[in-house]
Amino acid sequence: MTMVALAYGFIWLAVFGYVFTVGRRLGRLNAELEELRRRLERTKT
Amino acid sequence: MTGSFWRYTLLIAGKDLRIEGKSREVLYTMGFSAALVVLVFSFALSNATDPAQGPITAAGVLWAATLFTGTVALARVLDRERENEAIRALLLSPAPRAAIYAGKLLAVSLLMLAVEVVLVMLVGVLFSAEVFAHPGWLALVLLLGTLGFAATGVVFSAALLRSRNREALLGALLFPVVIPVLLAASRATACMFDPLAPDLEPVAFWVRFLLATDVIYILLGLWVFAPVVSGE
Amino acid sequence: MPTTPAPTSTRFLAACGGAFLLLFLACLAVAEAPLESVMGLVQKIFYFHVPCAWLLMLSTLVCAGGSIAYLFRGSERGDRIALSAAELGVLFGMCVLVSGPLWAKAAWGVYWQWEARLTSSLLLWLMLVAYVLARRYGGTSARRLAAALALFAAVDIPLVYFSVRFFRSIHPQTTVVSTLGPGMRGAFWLSLLSFTGLWFVLMSLRLAVENAQARIVELEVLLDQAEEKKS
Repeated sequence: MTMVALAYGFIWLAVFGYVFTVGRRLGRLNAELEELRRRLERTKT
Repeated sequence: MTGSFWRYTLLIAGKDLRIEGKSREVLYTMGFSAALVVLVFSFALSNATDPAQGPITAAGVLWAATLFTGTVALARVLDRERENEAIRALLLSPAPRAAIYAGKLLAVSLLMLAVEVVLVMLVGVLFSAEVFAHPGWLALVLLLGTLGFAATGVVFSAALLRSRNREALLGALLFPVVIPVLLAASRATACMFDPLAPDLEPVAFWVRFLLATDVIYILLGLWVFAPVVSGE
Repeated sequence: MPTTPAPTSTRFLAACGGAFLLLFLACLAVAEAPLESVMGLVQKIFYFHVPCAWLLMLSTLVCAGGSIAYLFRGSERGDRIALSAAELGVLFGMCVLVSGPLWAKAAWGVYWQWEARLTSSLLLWLMLVAYVLARRYGGTSARRLAAALALFAAVDIPLVYFSVRFFRSIHPQTTVVSTLGPGMRGAFWLSLLSFTGLWFVLMSLRLAVENAQARIVELEVLLDQAEEKKS
């Protein structure tokens, strides 16, 4: 029983750990993109 | 493969071997390092002189030492091309990329084989193994194992030509890929050295496996070498 | 530097939702499946372990495909796909290598065995880890080197899958899937499908990161050009 729980638990943890790590990185990159777009708009005005 | 392919292959291999013949740098440095590795193992492993287990351990140590120090041969043979932008000259020459790969493969393999012959004798002495019981099979396994290692090694070493992290990365990238070769070669060699082995059936099996693996690795190497090295 | 706090991207939320749904679905399938007579509850690890192994192979294949496109056609998109797939391969490879020994301990009494399939899976995983390392620390020539590595890793796939046929071993034969009972078969395929869906969700998320980075580089270039024109 513990083996099953450990195995499943690890997989859930690994998958969501990955999703959160990548998601945070994506958030930071999107923010940077927004900032760059704003600066680009400002140079056009 | 056309005649000119083989001509260029032999030209390039010959060039590297001639350079090596003058300095004997790879032979001495790789040879010495490999001998040291074997020595270290013979001290570290307590069953080294055990008549039953020693020979089997000998096979493993032989191949481990070869693999660890083979990167020296790879690095030196490819490194020469870094000096004075020799690699660019080589790439601009009419030699087909595949021939450059084959030539380097040949040179590295021959250098490694020369060291391995010495290692075999050393391992025979230190681990009390009958290393020349089946000389034909041994020669075949040494050749196929070395080719498998070098086939992958030349590609990775060439890709790392301009990398600053070359030494650290080459081993890390190469070893996982060549483990099947290591496995097959050391199992075959262990069977040959083992005085209690009933027959050489496993050797024949592993030789077939090595042959298949080598063919795949060399074909892959020939295919991939050109784009990998063209970035230089 | 960004002046606003990082917004929670909708794609990220969708990925979270999707991942949860799919994993939950797989769990549901497994819970519904009948208990195996010999090994009981532990056998249910199989419903997660096998799909993860399948995803390890899929990731390696996709990584190799992307690498070929990059090496021989200079496809940047291929390179991005290759990197994303390699990371997923590392992720699901970890799941295989953790769930497998846990099952093995219960079923065979040992955590590990140096038999063909386990060994090949471990090697494949190591090569994908090496790929990711090469991309991070390899410097300028990293991409070509890693691409070459991916192709050698792909060659390992047939070795992994068919090794069970050629070597006698205690690992279940690959034909075990077709010999599953009806209740089990449905659960297995549903689990497999859910995991494959999960893989696509994760790929989409990871690729979004690569695409965002590429877009940032583009915009920086445009910005430089625009600022130069102004001055």
